[in-house]
Amino acid sequence: MAGKAGKKAGNKETEMKVKITWKEIKRQKVLLLWSLVIVIYGFIFYYLPLGGWLMAFQNYKPAKGLLHSEFIGLDKFKRLFSDETFIRVIRNTLAMGVINLVVTFVMAILFAILLNEIRQRRTKKVIQTVSYLPHFLSWIIVTGILHDMLSGAGIVNEMLRSLHIIDKSIDFFAHPSYFWPIVAFANVWKETGWNAIIYLAAITSIDPSLYEAASIDGAGRLAKIRHVTLPGIKPTIIILLLMNIGNVLNAGFEIQYLLGNGLVQSVSQTIDIYVLKWGISQGDYSIGTAAGIFKSVVSIILIVVANQIAKRNGEEQLY
Amino acid sequence: MRKKVIANMILTVAATAMLVTGCGADDGGKSKNSSGGSSDSEIKEFTAFFAVPGSEINDDNEIQQMIAEKTGVKVKETWLTGQTPEEAIGTIIAGGEYPDFIEGASGQQQLYDAGALVALDDYLDSYTNIKEFFTEQEWDSLRQDDGHIYWIPQFSNIYGEEKVCTHNDEAFWIQTRVLKWAGYPEITTMDEYFDLIERYQKENPTMEDGTKNIPYTILCDDWRYFCLENAPQFLDGYPNDGSCIVDPNSLKVIDYNTTDTAVRYFKKLNEEYHKGIVDTESFTQTYDEYISKLSTGRVLGMIDQWWDFAYRAGDAIKSAGLDKQGCNYVPLPITIEKGIKNQWHNSGGVVNAGTGLGITVSCDDVAGALQFVDDLLGQEIHDLRFWGVEGTDYQVDDKGEFSRTPEMRTNCADTAYKASHLCTYSYFPQWLGTSRDGINAMSPDGQANEFYDGLQTDVKECFDAYGVETYVDMIGTSEAPGAWYPMWSYSNNLTADTDGGMAWTKIGEIKHEYLPKVVMAKDFDAAWEDYMKAYKKCKPEDFLDEMQKELDRRMEEAAKYQ
Repeated sequence: MAGKAGKKAGNKETEMKVKITWKEIKRQKVLLLWSLVIVIYGFIFYYLPLGGWLMAFQNYKPAKGLLHSEFIGLDKFKRLFSDETFIRVIRNTLAMGVINLVVTFVMAILFAILLNEIRQRRTKKVIQTVSYLPHFLSWIIVTGILHDMLSGAGIVNEMLRSLHIIDKSIDFFAHPSYFWPIVAFANVWKETGWNAIIYLAAITSIDPSLYEAASIDGAGRLAKIRHVTLPGIKPTIIILLLMNIGNVLNAGFEIQYLLGNGLVQSVSQTIDIYVLKWGISQGDYSIGTAAGIFKSVVSIILIVVANQIAKRNGEEQLY
Repeated sequence: MRKKVIANMILTVAATAMLVTGCGADDGGKSKNSSGGSSDSEIKEFTAFFAVPGSEINDDNEIQQMIAEKTGVKVKETWLTGQTPEEAIGTIIAGGEYPDFIEGASGQQQLYDAGALVALDDYLDSYTNIKEFFTEQEWDSLRQDDGHIYWIPQFSNIYGEEKVCTHNDEAFWIQTRVLKWAGYPEITTMDEYFDLIERYQKENPTMEDGTKNIPYTILCDDWRYFCLENAPQFLDGYPNDGSCIVDPNSLKVIDYNTTDTAVRYFKKLNEEYHKGIVDTESFTQTYDEYISKLSTGRVLGMIDQWWDFAYRAGDAIKSAGLDKQGCNYVPLPITIEKGIKNQWHNSGGVVNAGTGLGITVSCDDVAGALQFVDDLLGQEIHDLRFWGVEGTDYQVDDKGEFSRTPEMRTNCADTAYKASHLCTYSYFPQWLGTSRDGINAMSPDGQANEFYDGLQTDVKECFDAYGVETYVDMIGTSEAPGAWYPMWSYSNNLTADTDGGMAWTKIGEIKHEYLPKVVMAKDFDAAWEDYMKAYKKCKPEDFLDEMQKELDRRMEEAAKYQ
């Protein structure tokens, strides 16, 4: 996506010059045909399924099908927003989304910069590889590890006990206040190394002469990071931030679903879990769709707003 | 060169395949049956999904192959993994492609609503074994609101005299070592039960190898939280209606969540929690963690249903030799006060009309599928399913009585053997009670001699001390309470479409959160008050009204046949 944005800016001049004439179309026949394939693909797999959104405005019953279910207007949306649980679920999703975004974002940049300062090539490579491997584990495994580590006889409690910080095991999953930090920690553990790769690549592409010039001007390491590295990767940071803001409501499903339990359900349930519970388990596909639509609309608004802010400040944009 | 290697490999594979199928055909050849073909090419394969946890068997399972030879049908069974039944069924419905056979458990109503099931009533008359399975009244009770029958409940049907030794249901379980240490006392109330565990724990805080005991744990994982929530109905001497109490005299529905007994029960748990008797991990442990705890023999007691722990943890305890330390569980007849008749166990089969084996609209051969179900209920195949192969899995004496050697019993508890050899088609209709030969039980579990001989030493010792022979004797038994029973077959199938169903879902959600809080709270009374406030908000009266309506309907239906 970052690449696409860059390319678009570059294409602007050429787009201006070429006039659409039959001759031009003929000349680009093959190219157009090929792009048509992509358009058709996109239509079938991205836009056609949106027809399912109809369900949100119906009292949908699988036996009757999409065409014969009864239309009920906005009833399902009304029910959704009068449901305390749904409001709480939005809060949880936003909270965890924002916490995750901030923490993983900051950690990835920090990690990339630190890694970049390591002079020994080999050590750097080893650390980088080790740190991004957790990305390839599925959440079911990560939550299994977490569950073991944080259990009464797990390594964390064992350590805290032997250091005499506590004398009775803490039951980490029984307290709602620990849940969000645990989720954030898990996200950082799993994704920091992976997310740092992009920043590392961006850092590598900074012109070395800038560093030399800074050195000549008497800049130390910290000053170089502040005045060369950070400004150098700023466009990357902004683009990634923009993309991630659209993802805030995708705060996760697996980790909350797998780590949650009755005691913490008031802080652990996300919109996706709500959709699963009411839409799939309770067989109310309409309310599930309504919640899904809500999520998509909010995501689109978030992206548009963030993009506008970036535009106004003269920064890099998505479109 | 490479081509040659590949050609060789293909040849080898083909030869192996021929060998395997050749053997299969040979096995079946001994006892060919007219009802089906005997060669592999004629065997039709059906698919089945059961929305309950189960173990898949190997593709080359021996008894499955033998049944296939005899019936011409093989069914590939898949089970629930890591989801609730509703989630699994909801996903299948959303996908629109069904297996041939399906059992939706608490998602069965969704299947019916989605029009996924084939009406069976027109077919039934042509299958004698299936027809025999229920009485006319029972068949009628299976009719849905459109007047058709869509599924066949598989369990609790008794042929001839009832033969039952295991208490398959819920109870307060306790390890035999605790009872032995106390000299096998009479324990009949909740207070005595916890008192005994406390005293034992004080004297014996660890197992023989020094592992710390866990005095009492509560399984609370998702839908399995019945281990925490529904004891109040039993403590008051009512049977397992599951979601409410039914007063047998006035025929009125009573809410067990708010009774005095419920308060006393949760207060007791709260006290025991602060005394360190209740496992602090109770409310956060997963089912697997719970089972592995039980398997180590550390847990002295808990509430659970037999089927939920005995097969997995029980087999592990056995193979680890922990029976010598007395780590097996026996049920106790616990009520809130002395002198209340307990109904943890009910005799007689109760039809769970709420769910059963259905055939879906995706099945292209409904008649063939039903023929297979019919064949499975024939005595010969029924024996093959539950007893196994004569000579290998059981022996027959000159009076015709079946029994098993210790080795056969060990085999049958062995996971690998179960997967490669045994095939019970456990979620297809099956008989309990007495075999058609009039001598044996339909399955080894019900064979009194066989059952007693197969008991592990500590359980046998315990039974002898109490002068009983079976788990059922241990806890006592009573007749099924009435024609409405069990109400859970209705509440399990409620969906959020109705006010009552909505309330039921919300109640479940609230209880999942507040019951653990109540047990862990420093100030029980305040926590209970909070719980009750949240509980009342769910409009439990909507739910109870709907249950009352169903109760009245069931009693009316039953009255027609008297």
